[in-house]
Amino acid sequence: MTALLAANGIAKSFDGTRVLDGVTLSIAAGEPVGLFGPNGSGKTTLANVLSGLLFPDAGTIAFEGRDVTWLPLDARYRLGIARTFQIPHPYPSLTVQEAVRVALSAGAGKRPAGEGAGEEIEELISRTGLFDQRFVPCARLSQGCLRRLEFARALACRPKLLILDEVFSSLSTVDEGDLVALLRAANREGGTAFLLISHNRMLLKGTCSRVLYLEEGRVARERTV
Amino acid sequence: MLRWVPAARGGWLAAGIGLLLLFPLSSPDAYFLDVLTTGFLLAAFTASWDVVGGIAGQVTLGHALPFGAATYALALLGRIAGMPFPVAAVLAVLIATAAGAGIGWLAAPLSGPFVALLTLALGEAAHEVAVGHAFLTGPGGYAWGGEGGIPVALPWRDAPPFAAYYASLAFLCLSTWGMLAFSRSGGGLILRAVAGSPVTAQASGVPIGRYKRLAFTVGSAFAGAAGVGFASHVGRATAGDLSLELSFQAATFAAVGGRGTVIGPAVAALALHALFQGLSLPPAARVLLYAATLMVTLRFFPGGVAGTAREIAARLGRREGPRIPRRRREPGTPPGGSA
Repeated sequence: MTALLAANGIAKSFDGTRVLDGVTLSIAAGEPVGLFGPNGSGKTTLANVLSGLLFPDAGTIAFEGRDVTWLPLDARYRLGIARTFQIPHPYPSLTVQEAVRVALSAGAGKRPAGEGAGEEIEELISRTGLFDQRFVPCARLSQGCLRRLEFARALACRPKLLILDEVFSSLSTVDEGDLVALLRAANREGGTAFLLISHNRMLLKGTCSRVLYLEEGRVARERTV
Repeated sequence: MLRWVPAARGGWLAAGIGLLLLFPLSSPDAYFLDVLTTGFLLAAFTASWDVVGGIAGQVTLGHALPFGAATYALALLGRIAGMPFPVAAVLAVLIATAAGAGIGWLAAPLSGPFVALLTLALGEAAHEVAVGHAFLTGPGGYAWGGEGGIPVALPWRDAPPFAAYYASLAFLCLSTWGMLAFSRSGGGLILRAVAGSPVTAQASGVPIGRYKRLAFTVGSAFAGAAGVGFASHVGRATAGDLSLELSFQAATFAAVGGRGTVIGPAVAALALHALFQGLSLPPAARVLLYAATLMVTLRFFPGGVAGTAREIAARLGRREGPRIPRRRREPGTPPGGSA
């Protein structure tokens, strides 16, 4: 069976420092995968390379059998690879509703940005628990709400693969519980595969079927949960 | 947001336009009528800067380039190519639009200060070409170009000043309406997203380079239209139409009016131009007043006049309490429901 995402020999250096050193991994369709590792092991760099925010120095990335190594972030999103950021970068002047509308209209590339998309926007906002904040400018949202908005934005393209970079860190128990439930629902009912990067072993064991351990820029080992 | 806020804003605008419509009936001084006529065109030009620098967040310091490209194209196509005025005017706007698309193509991979530096360099290069180039030389050393510029072939002679006044006012209203409609469209929303956070926009599937080019193209089209109006009013295309001073003026007037609001920059440009020119101040005093206005605005009202007004209205709206119907999740159900 063709892997949904297959990365082969990914290497990336910054100023001569090798951050990723030949990472090879594959994720099947609908598979929940965890990525664990100490600080500085290259987890965020790997997320950046897999999502298209950075290009690798060496190696290839294939998505659904298609070489996407040199496709930028926006093109990969439109293909169905969505990501969230460890530190959200909200649009200061846009409301929650408008931020989701941007992802729906530009990201999906086929749905209108006008009122026709209203029901879908409302559904996404409700699912992520942001209904009461839908007219609030993103600049005024709490960290918890910003993470929820990251989820709404990422889910707008109905992703086949979701890359989540430390999305649950510094969240309240309520926010974390809600977002974990949302992630599980997207995986179970929408068939969305995900790569969840976290320092929380218990969280990874509870949500993923397989956990990769990244050490010094390499996948040192993997464990099936 | 309070319900009366948009209505009040619309009321003020309607009242302002009404006053401007009635103004010529008060038999004003011809000089002040001319100041306002020029002010309408510069206000439209400033609003067109706001499409690029405010809505899309691409702070351009060479926005005079499409404006000047249109004034020169109008003059050259009419005088040298002998085209009829309407044809030359349409072509001039298209040339300005193409110039904007070219600038956008160069600026799209850049961000922040690099966009400002690139556009500054392009604008200055165009200005230097206009200053140093004689487009046509005639007998006896007569030349078109340089500081003196090129006269525009106008189809009318000695048009009444009221005609230019009302035509310019109509152009300002129509072009501002067009730019507002663009800013409120799906494309405008995406441009505001690109301005707010390019990386989040890209992670939402927005091809940010394409949208930056769109902003430069649309903004330059409106700047070109303003340039055609300006050259038609003053009857000449000069190197001043491409000057850095004009580009800086648009950027600073937009900052005073409120970047990203379109109407704010247009109103600020009109009011400040009328104030500085209408008071007949000596140049030194004008520069001091200009600098003081800018410093006070940036220090105390960083969102500009319109941005500050919008912030106050939002605060008042929050004080009034939420009007949003609340939707509660049923107990025991996950927030996601179904994927």
